[in-house]
Amino acid sequence: MKTIMKLIFCILSILTFSGKLFAQVNVVATLPWIGNLAKLIGKEKVSVTTLVKTNQDPHYVEAKPSLIVAARKADIIMYNGLDLEIGYLPVIIESSKNPAIQPGKPGNFDCSQFITPIEKTPSADRSMGDIHPLGNPHYHFSPSNIIKVARGMAEILAKIDPSNEAYYRKNFREFQSKWQGKITQWKSKNLAGKKFVAYHWLFSYLADEFDFQIVGCIEAKPGIPPSSGEIKNIIDTINRTKPNAILVNVYSPKKPVEFVTKKTNIKSILVPHDVGSLPGTDDWFLFMDRVIQLLSEV
Amino acid sequence: MSSTNLIPKFLILFILLVFGAGVAAYCQDTGEKIKELEEKIKYQQQIIDQLQKELEQIKQSMITEQVQKPAEKIVSTSGGLFGSANLFNPNISLILDTFGYSSNLKDKDLEERNIPGFIKEGIHHRKGMNIHAAELYMFAPMDPFFNLYATIPVTEEGVELEEAYMVTTSLPAGIQAKIGKFKSGFGRLNIQHAHTWNFTDQPLVYRAFMGHEGINEKGIQLTFLPKLPFYTQVGIEALAGENEILFGKDAGGLKAFSAFAKTSFDVGDYGTILFGPSFIIGDTETDSIEEDHIFRGDTKLAGLEFTYKWKPSRWKSFIFQTEYLWRKQKGNIEDTNTSDVSRLERTQDGLYLQGVFQTGRWGFGARYDLLEPFNDRYKLAGSDVSFGDKPWRASAMVEFNPSEFSKIRFQYNYDKSSKNGKVNNEFYLQFIGGIGAHAAHTF
Repeated sequence: MKTIMKLIFCILSILTFSGKLFAQVNVVATLPWIGNLAKLIGKEKVSVTTLVKTNQDPHYVEAKPSLIVAARKADIIMYNGLDLEIGYLPVIIESSKNPAIQPGKPGNFDCSQFITPIEKTPSADRSMGDIHPLGNPHYHFSPSNIIKVARGMAEILAKIDPSNEAYYRKNFREFQSKWQGKITQWKSKNLAGKKFVAYHWLFSYLADEFDFQIVGCIEAKPGIPPSSGEIKNIIDTINRTKPNAILVNVYSPKKPVEFVTKKTNIKSILVPHDVGSLPGTDDWFLFMDRVIQLLSEV
Repeated sequence: MSSTNLIPKFLILFILLVFGAGVAAYCQDTGEKIKELEEKIKYQQQIIDQLQKELEQIKQSMITEQVQKPAEKIVSTSGGLFGSANLFNPNISLILDTFGYSSNLKDKDLEERNIPGFIKEGIHHRKGMNIHAAELYMFAPMDPFFNLYATIPVTEEGVELEEAYMVTTSLPAGIQAKIGKFKSGFGRLNIQHAHTWNFTDQPLVYRAFMGHEGINEKGIQLTFLPKLPFYTQVGIEALAGENEILFGKDAGGLKAFSAFAKTSFDVGDYGTILFGPSFIIGDTETDSIEEDHIFRGDTKLAGLEFTYKWKPSRWKSFIFQTEYLWRKQKGNIEDTNTSDVSRLERTQDGLYLQGVFQTGRWGFGARYDLLEPFNDRYKLAGSDVSFGDKPWRASAMVEFNPSEFSKIRFQYNYDKSSKNGKVNNEFYLQFIGGIGAHAAHTF
């Protein structure tokens, strides 16, 4: 009996500590864009696990045991913040029993700490739906905020893995110069003055930075399917403002969107909501390329 | 004539000369001035070029500086992991769980509707409106080493401390401790709060073996999550052992001990399986089995759980869940009227199977409960006793979730768990809603 116990203990300790033998930093990212950014900054010095699938609504994710076991092995967990992952991430982090990624530790990395949120509603209550009082959480559509997040990632990776500090800084500079080139390219597409309707309030940062307008959303209250009255309101808004298109994403419900497009003769376009959610959008630049392209074509 | 003509000629010539010299001098002077001006302009152009260059550089450096400047933290907007609440106030939510109840039986019959051989306690609620609880739930990190949780249901009878415990966050090697009063990790449903169940009431087998509060004890729990390719958690607990059905309220100290293991892996893109065994053992001294009888001895309860959850999107899911529980009790049973003591040795079991299908905001579920599927006999004072009929119940439920924070549920039970043969047709119309902090959901 004693030898069996010893054997079990040995196997478990090998399994527990063997992770340290590999030099890569084990990054666990909640959303696909976060995982991609970490990969662009960390390249082959990091291994990235992404918890939320590319076709999944990031607001509603199950704290599955497989996600907990991924977090158990993380050196750092990177998340969107602004309460987007509030429904599952606290459980994943606490149940992971991983002290490195607990709040307050360097391994607990809230990407939103670097950004300037818009649409803050400090006086929100839930009669307005599942609203985020800290601000709109979909800032990955915002180049000016993403560059700050990328810089923050380079800094935290350098802190966690100091032997590769120069490597992470170099990768960030590469990212930055590509970013500068892309900005000019994107700005030249001239989205200014366009008007859109969206299913969910996903595109506010994009509209802000590229000077177009989101005149309304089909999902009037975040997280609650629209009522018939709310659908009537958005149809009125569309008829009044004549937007260029209705922006939907892979997880928006089809029925209300089809109804609105039929009633208004304004076409809907499927826009990627995150990196990898449509084919050919596998990194953040390609994702933004596609978004800007789609919006500029209508 | 010539001489007189000469003077004016000279004069003219002189004037012309002077004038010419003046003009020449003037011309020379302007030429120089123009040159000078040209040079000045050239010089100024140089300065302008220089300035323009510098300006461009400054512009460029401003852009890069904006980017390169140490990523400043905008602390006020970062809500932290537990949400947007003020750092020095715990996250608080209040969950109201209320239901209307109807049955073909009279209130008096419901009060006496026990499960003979298991529990003597009848049904708690009455026909008409019932408040299960308005449940206060508070949680927050305590310091870098602990998180604290408390569940305080306020019922019509008063305030109760259902759970209050701290959880470690900084222990190494995948070990975590829970200290205080908490729901035991035994089984699948036991750890879940009533308002998160898929049905209004608990399964028959839970009510029969653990009573309506489940195994909810003061004690210490240790869990271990090794770094394996798939999820496996093992846990042990030392508990006060005050559950009235399993152990009895009177004893002090820690007299119940439990162990459990749960394994899980994903099946395909959207499916997850979770299963594992649980075990709890303890000293028992309880009068909950039968009127006017006290049982003294020990109790072993073992369980097997299996859950399959398929969830391709927020709007569609299917959950199949089952648990099998097995109990063995050994000891003496005393008739408190006659003081007669007889030897009691019994093995009992029970199970439930349930499935819930969700589409959009609607959910549909069915559940089947059965007691004594494999063990329906026991030895009382040396002789075999059998209760005959196996208690069972079938349930159907429909629910609508207006938002993530509210739920309306209708449930029907066909209940044949009492031995007197009377069927209890039960109807529930339940309303659940939460306000305050958004608590994360466990799997």
